[in-house]
Amino acid sequence: MWATNAKIVGIVLGTLALYTLIANKIPQVQSEVPQALTLGANVTPEQLVAAGEKVYTGIGGCTTCHGLGERAPNLLTDEKGQGTIGARCGKREPGKTCKQYLYESLDNPTAYVVSGYQPIMPVMTKQLSPAQVWSVIAFLESQGGTVDVTASDIPTTSPASPTSPTSPGGGGGAGGAAFAGGSTDPKAIIQAAGCLACHKLDGQGQVIAPDLTHVGSRRDAESIRRKILDPASSVTKGYEKLAGIMPKSFGTMMSAAQLEALVQYLAAHK
Amino acid sequence: MTDPLLLLQAAADTSRAYGEFPVIGARAFVWITAEVHLMFAAFVLGVPMFAVVTEAIGIFGGDERYDRLSKEFTRLLLVAYSATAIWGAMLVFGLSTLYPRFWAYLTTIFAPSMWLYAALFFVESFTLYLYYYGWDRWKKGRAKLGHWTLGILLNVWGTIVMFIANAWLTYMMSPPRDITPTTDPTTIKLWHAIANATWMPINVHRVIANVVFGGAIVGAYASYRFLAARTEEERAHYDWMGYVGNFIAMSALIVLPFAGYWLGREIYQYDQSMGITMMGGFMSWLWVIQAFLIAVLFLTGNYYLWIGMGRIPGAERFRPYTKYLLIVLVLGAIVWGTPHTMIADSKELAAMGGSHHPFLGALGVMSAKNTAVNLMILTTFLSFLLYRRANTRPVVPWARAGTIIQGAMFAVAAGVVLFYGIRGYFVEAIVRIGFSVYQVLAVLSCIVFVTVIDILMARGAQSLGAIRWGRMPPRSQYALFILAVTFTWLMGLMGFARSGIRQYWHVWQVMQDTSKYAATPALGYASKMISLCVLIFLSLVAFVFWLGGLAEKSTFVATAEGEKGARHVGH
Ligand code: HEC
Ligand code: HEC
Ligand code: HEM
Repeated sequence: MWATNAKIVGIVLGTLALYTLIANKIPQVQSEVPQALTLGANVTPEQLVAAGEKVYTGIGGCTTCHGLGERAPNLLTDEKGQGTIGARCGKREPGKTCKQYLYESLDNPTAYVVSGYQPIMPVMTKQLSPAQVWSVIAFLESQGGTVDVTASDIPTTSPASPTSPTSPGGGGGAGGAAFAGGSTDPKAIIQAAGCLACHKLDGQGQVIAPDLTHVGSRRDAESIRRKILDPASSVTKGYEKLAGIMPKSFGTMMSAAQLEALVQYLAAHK
Repeated sequence: MTDPLLLLQAAADTSRAYGEFPVIGARAFVWITAEVHLMFAAFVLGVPMFAVVTEAIGIFGGDERYDRLSKEFTRLLLVAYSATAIWGAMLVFGLSTLYPRFWAYLTTIFAPSMWLYAALFFVESFTLYLYYYGWDRWKKGRAKLGHWTLGILLNVWGTIVMFIANAWLTYMMSPPRDITPTTDPTTIKLWHAIANATWMPINVHRVIANVVFGGAIVGAYASYRFLAARTEEERAHYDWMGYVGNFIAMSALIVLPFAGYWLGREIYQYDQSMGITMMGGFMSWLWVIQAFLIAVLFLTGNYYLWIGMGRIPGAERFRPYTKYLLIVLVLGAIVWGTPHTMIADSKELAAMGGSHHPFLGALGVMSAKNTAVNLMILTTFLSFLLYRRANTRPVVPWARAGTIIQGAMFAVAAGVVLFYGIRGYFVEAIVRIGFSVYQVLAVLSCIVFVTVIDILMARGAQSLGAIRWGRMPPRSQYALFILAVTFTWLMGLMGFARSGIRQYWHVWQVMQDTSKYAATPALGYASKMISLCVLIFLSLVAFVFWLGGLAEKSTFVATAEGEKGARHVGH
């Protein structure tokens, strides 16, 4: 009987050990309490990098995707012979410095999609405060490059609350650059606003929300404007279950001229 | 003057908001006590269900063995009840001293229900004593029915007790939307807080899970006794008991995914960002592990059945099919568990939060997983069917036609599941949500109709010989252990999921956790805690079993009727 008992204990412990082992082998993501990161005017690069590493492994949630096989490019190791992220960031887009490229990756990830990957990277400036964004950039630069982020990069305006992802943090982030670079080209606005993450338009984009290719035949300009400014104002028939999903923040993100350009563009889609 | 006073008050509040527990820390203490308490609670809820059903089979089927089986379990309950109460007391002690402010908040809202809870627990224990000690007294006729009613009452009390406790923890997860951080808790209506968005889904999910749990623990108990048995007859008895435990566990397990799906949907509807955290955010890997565990459950349960065919004369006919069943199960498990497939892409989309539509992530995943799990359920059901058929040959004239119809039903159900599973990738999320309903309906109706046909077809069936209970290789019994351990671990994991999705909130978006344990740990740490809890629980259960053995030798009484009764089993 002792042999049997020992076997049972062995099986129980073995099963427990197996499950514990598997759970420890997968990427370890801890959910941090969002903290307003306060970096003084004389913050050193080292402090920025240290803060950025915390954001990277913690609240930023970057490790959910980065460092995981084919899901996203590994930032901390070599990627297809181009070096670590700090080394390759300056060579990605002609005319863009490393810092500019990294900011763009976080602010408008679909602007440049690394080949071989899907455009699934979230807009991080919506979820993180400017201080968090810039410190994570410093951290990425430190991975094989030189850190040139300074306190002057971080806007002094009170950061968007990191707990509310709907806050229009994307707007003022790039050292005061306006939404979509201030462009009134509707395509650029749509790109920057991420409408195609949900909508299809002229054959592009996702099919979660109504196809906007012929939206002009269903709604007039006034109705489209109201829908963008206040998505709750009307709900498209057949999509009642998805009501409330369309972000409410577009109105505060765009300038009036941009909104108008967008509305006219869509209204012309008959 | 008031300002400094307010400041003082605030300082006092902060200092008393959290306590600290030596060595392991406050959170670990509450974690362990809550989880072990929950496991015992599930045990004392699941096992009485088991006991009442087996007693009823004994009464209405006239098979004495079931009655003895039922009593054997009730005996285990006596000690388990005290254990539940002790761990519950430790939990309350922990919460009230280590999280005093949060505890005060909860009691302000829920006090009346807490008193009711305590009172019902008392009544429940009392009913249990009557049920157990009255067993031999009320053995015949009307008295026996009265006794059985006691067993039902025991379940009623237990279920109400659990529903009450569920109200507290679901309130923490999904407080009604009109409640904000500034809402004075004294103004919150009790029923309003109880009937929150996830209360009913969790109630249902847990009731079912507890049945599975009861069955799994019973199976483990039986397998231990089987391995320790000295005589052939004893072995036969415990083999049979293990079979019944496994049967109940697997039958209830089949329904769990549906309930879980409902729960997941309610969470999404309540708060999308919570849904995203759960399915796509920092918890997305948890579901891969959950899938793995469930795959282990399905595979082990089926494996046990297939080995069991060895003790059934006539089962040789079906043996060759098991390998195809195995293939389906393994494929299903892989689809379900693989993170780097099209499934993961939609999950990754969900991780994006904000600008992306969360349903795609959750339900995209859910509906792909549903396809896999529905096929696994069908396969498991088929295993049972073959098992049931193993030692009989139907004699009704339409037997052949019946079997063909049954086969066609399986084919149609599998076809429907696959069709909608594949189509799900080509339609909008909103349409896809509806698809899973068709899949579930197809599987459920297949199960119902095939069972009905099978029962009719078994009428007067020719027997190919009685099941040779006890003729089981020991590895089958170890399979039952793995089932019990896996299921307990799964419970711990899902408990972590439930409280983890609140992240740094005690009460979601109402009361923030400002203690130093506010961050929600990663799965690696959680898995160690879960393993520890499972270990504590199983050791205590082993102790309970051992005590049960001390008090009275097994209820097994060697009789000649054991052989006769065997034919009813599994039918
Ligand atoms: C949902 C998955 C996901 C998350 C979360 C995520 N990323 Fe990404 N990221 C991607 C993918 C996929 C790419 C490649 C495609 C592209 O360029 O958009 C990428 C690209 C990048 C690049 C460009 C890499 C290169 O080689 O040029 C940077 C820099 C980056 N991410 C930084 C971050 C940081 C910092 C975070 C956390 C704050 C983060 N990402 C979170 C998926 C993700
Ligand atoms: C997170 C997903 C999401 C994003 C991003 C999004 N929408 Fe929507 N949108 C929806 C959903 C869902 C509906 C349908 C439900 C409703 O009416 O609220 C909708 C409806 C609409 C409609 C009404 C369509 C009709 O046929 O009635 C318009 C117009 C619209 N969106 C424009 C936009 C524009 C312009 C943008 C970008 C600036 C945008 N949406 C971004 C999800 C989104
Ligand atoms: C085959 C499918 C499933 C199985 C076997 C399963 C099993 C379990 C078990 C054993 C528990 C513990 C019950 C208890 O503590 O009493 C549990 C709880 C839970 N399940 Fe599931 N589940 C399944 C599907 C799902 C799905 C699809 C979801 C949602 C997306 C889900 C969400 C949860 C949650 C949030 C809990 C926590 C409840 C709690 O214990 O506090 N489950 N599940």
